[in-house]
Amino acid sequence: MDSDVILFIVVGTALAFDFTNGFHDTANVVATSISTGAARPRVAIAMAALLNFAGAFISISVAATVANDVVNADVITPTIVFAGLIGAIAWNLITWSVGLPSSSSHALIGGVVGSAVAAVGFDAVLAGGLVGKVLIPALVAPVLAFLVAGVSIGLIYRIVGGERPGTVSRGFKYGQVVSGGLLALAHGTNDAQKTMGVITLALIANGNLDAGVDPPFWVIFSAATAIALGTYSGGWRIIKTTGMRIIKMDPAQGFSSQGAGSAVILASTHFGFPLSTTHVINGGIMGAGAAKRLSAVRWGVAGNIVTAWVLTLPAAAAIGALTYGVTKLFGNGALGPVVVSIAALAASAALFMRRAERGAPVAAEGA
Amino acid sequence: MIATIVEWEAVLDTVLASVVAGVGVTFVFSIAIWGVARFVDYNRGERPVAAGAAGLVAALGLLSTGAVLVVGILVMTGG
Repeated sequence: MDSDVILFIVVGTALAFDFTNGFHDTANVVATSISTGAARPRVAIAMAALLNFAGAFISISVAATVANDVVNADVITPTIVFAGLIGAIAWNLITWSVGLPSSSSHALIGGVVGSAVAAVGFDAVLAGGLVGKVLIPALVAPVLAFLVAGVSIGLIYRIVGGERPGTVSRGFKYGQVVSGGLLALAHGTNDAQKTMGVITLALIANGNLDAGVDPPFWVIFSAATAIALGTYSGGWRIIKTTGMRIIKMDPAQGFSSQGAGSAVILASTHFGFPLSTTHVINGGIMGAGAAKRLSAVRWGVAGNIVTAWVLTLPAAAAIGALTYGVTKLFGNGALGPVVVSIAALAASAALFMRRAERGAPVAAEGA
Repeated sequence: MIATIVEWEAVLDTVLASVVAGVGVTFVFSIAIWGVARFVDYNRGERPVAAGAAGLVAALGLLSTGAVLVVGILVMTGG
């Protein structure tokens, strides 16, 4: 009975995390299209939400990685998964409140690894999967997006540089409808799968599923719905967007950055690599800006991204470990997760209210 | 140790697929835009043959862009 209550809390927390992931990431997904005038905000956000939903159904490779290749499912319990989720959510809220563009994906994996280490020890961590499928791709992907976007925009200027700017701009604005859609699809497929993977891991830990099986349809559907609703809700509160913060873009740069981001995320998803979609999208935006003019990029924002990148895994792991310790103070039953959930909800509400009182935008960069 | 636990083949395939898809789509779409821009200019200059050729280039560029996208999505859903 207790384990089912914990599982219920884990599924609810995971879906809440997925919702906040979509809420956080709306800015990243639609900023480029809106900032270049390729799409109206209302249309861009609705399209992003729909394609986030659709994207969640096109692959389960990343979910399989999160469920089977990061921690040893045989020694994981639903409480460990719960503590990991709280670690991720707490780190997201902390970075959001100070304006650091952190990765929800890295926070999620860091949180689960940290709580697993606190509960079982380092034997719980599958080092091969963590390094090979998370850390190395996390390093490679943003740099790859930067380079692909840089080469792409160079190619564009070489091919159409001598043509009438009006015709070229219009053409790339149309192109951005497709590249922006692809980016939303890519975002949905990689990010929603992390939640699917965590819920699947909890179901395995609780004995509802065998290790190595695919996520059930209800898990895929609920993760798709949560991220799509989060994306749709997040859009209405965007004040400053990622695209405008890093560089002022023309439609050709928008197209190349979105194309590069989509290509890297979709290819990585195909091979089961859980990426930070934020870092990849920002890598593409910076590549498109730097290829035109190095000084066009606001390197301070880039520096913040690197800082957040370095801190996120260890910080989320530490909070996940601490949360597990606090949960265990209340014994092995459901009381610990219930108390921690209530405390987390109260802390989140207080943070939102404080932020709202200061008049700051509720949506920030993340994931 | 890192050399043995990292799936380098998958990482390299990801790099290759990203470069081919990202740069490839940009290339064929840019060709399409170039074709459209030339088509407009040649039409204004009353050069129908050149305009027709540029229009053909634009159409081929757009078709190629669509084809690359469809293949990409099919590969994704098949994997």
